[in-house]
Amino acid sequence: MPNVLISATSMIKIDRYYEYDLMDLATQAVVKLLEKTNENIKPDVVIFSNTYAEKTVSQVSLASKLCNNLGISAMPIRIENGDASGGAAVSTAYYLLKSGEIKSALIVGAEKMGDFPASYLNEIVSENLNEKYQEKVGLTTQSFSAIQMKEYMKKYGVTYDYFAQWPVYMHKYGSENPYAYLKFPVDLKTVKESQLVSDPLRIFDTAARADGASAILMTNEELGKKISENYVKVKAVGFSTSEFRIGEIPSVHGALKTLGDVKADLMEIHDSFSINAALILEEMGYPRGKSLDNLNEIPVNPSGGLKSRGYPGGATGIYQVSEITQQLLGVFPGHRISGNKGLVISTDELGTSAYTILLER
Amino acid sequence: MNVFPPQVWREKETLYRLIGGKCNCGNVIFPYSPVCNKCGSTSVSKIKLSGKGILLQYTVTYQHRPGFEKTQPTYVGLIKLQEGPEIIAPLTDVDEGELKEGDKVEAVIRRIKSDSNNGLIVYGTKFRLIKDGDK
Ligand SMILES: [Zn+2]
Repeated sequence: MPNVLISATSMIKIDRYYEYDLMDLATQAVVKLLEKTNENIKPDVVIFSNTYAEKTVSQVSLASKLCNNLGISAMPIRIENGDASGGAAVSTAYYLLKSGEIKSALIVGAEKMGDFPASYLNEIVSENLNEKYQEKVGLTTQSFSAIQMKEYMKKYGVTYDYFAQWPVYMHKYGSENPYAYLKFPVDLKTVKESQLVSDPLRIFDTAARADGASAILMTNEELGKKISENYVKVKAVGFSTSEFRIGEIPSVHGALKTLGDVKADLMEIHDSFSINAALILEEMGYPRGKSLDNLNEIPVNPSGGLKSRGYPGGATGIYQVSEITQQLLGVFPGHRISGNKGLVISTDELGTSAYTILLER
Repeated sequence: MNVFPPQVWREKETLYRLIGGKCNCGNVIFPYSPVCNKCGSTSVSKIKLSGKGILLQYTVTYQHRPGFEKTQPTYVGLIKLQEGPEIIAPLTDVDEGELKEGDKVEAVIRRIKSDSNNGLIVYGTKFRLIKDGDK
């Protein structure tokens, strides 16, 4: 089976773009991507990774519209799997390329979350809850996360300060990332005194919801080497699903297991909440109840993660893959971690599905 | 926020009557599903849950969704229902500072939200504390 490469990546700064619509942002990411390739690319497949377009911009047929805007004819696919859409899109492209039936796939993640006040964003993100009961009775995902935190605090005897370490680290890294939405450092005191969202969850524990677009070009090895010398290999992908569960994220455990025994030099994980970061790290084998105490020793989220780099819904996983690719190539313009193997863990808001993507220089 | 009656009406067994499913394997599911989420069996029969349970954990939420302004702040609990399932559900009739882990709770029908245009009201099940002196 052919080897699969990531031949080019691009990102725009995550921000609130009042002057641009969803397709504008997606197109900007593609234009930046094309500037990095030697050849005129005619992808066989175009995948649009997006979670909330029906509600945020009243749009469907995203991939077809993008193809038409770019003047290309390809197999258009829109992938929505909650905030794990990015992981789903890259995994799908991986298998299409492995089949040998296609030579290239352009994947564009784009999301528009910056136009709305917090209450409407809560409404949008509550689409992740179940239809029969949770969404109907007005719940928000923040309540689930707060309860998850309190159970963790009880089980391991930690206080809120334990969780506050995560946003401090994320903002430290994100303050060096030119693509980050909240590009500033914060101290422990600022985090601890920030707005209470759902006791004990504070605003700095949540994801910074904004607009973003990132594009990647995936190809087989033969074509990829013509396009650019700066590529990384997609070594493997894994995936799993599970229900929301207190004290663990079984989908992440399952997605890691399908990858086999992997030692990555660096990783980007989906820290929708600080507690999710702790639980994901613990599914990877970092000590339970202590994973956030040794963040200086864990090569995780040099981008600043969802806290600081920001959270553009279904584009998030595409950012993660772009970031790890640029890290492995030594060209990421922010905080650098060196290494040959990088891991992306792309999950949805509450971790009901997870994708793992292993990249290698 | 708009309320579309069929979307609420079709969930009446879940929202008003707390109908769950019981599998041959013993697993109890809420909301009802014809397939067991534990063993995959389709031998799941409908049961009416008692609505009684234990409050395992709770939070008070200060952010809301449009249409839910009147119930701010919102108390939300992790509840272990008598029949087994653990669910996350809104709590009602809560006085500040009175919730404790291990408290007994029961289901009640409450107003959820109303349509801002035509006044249609959505009702559904929330949970309240069973206080000393209550039966
Ligand atoms: Zn069963």
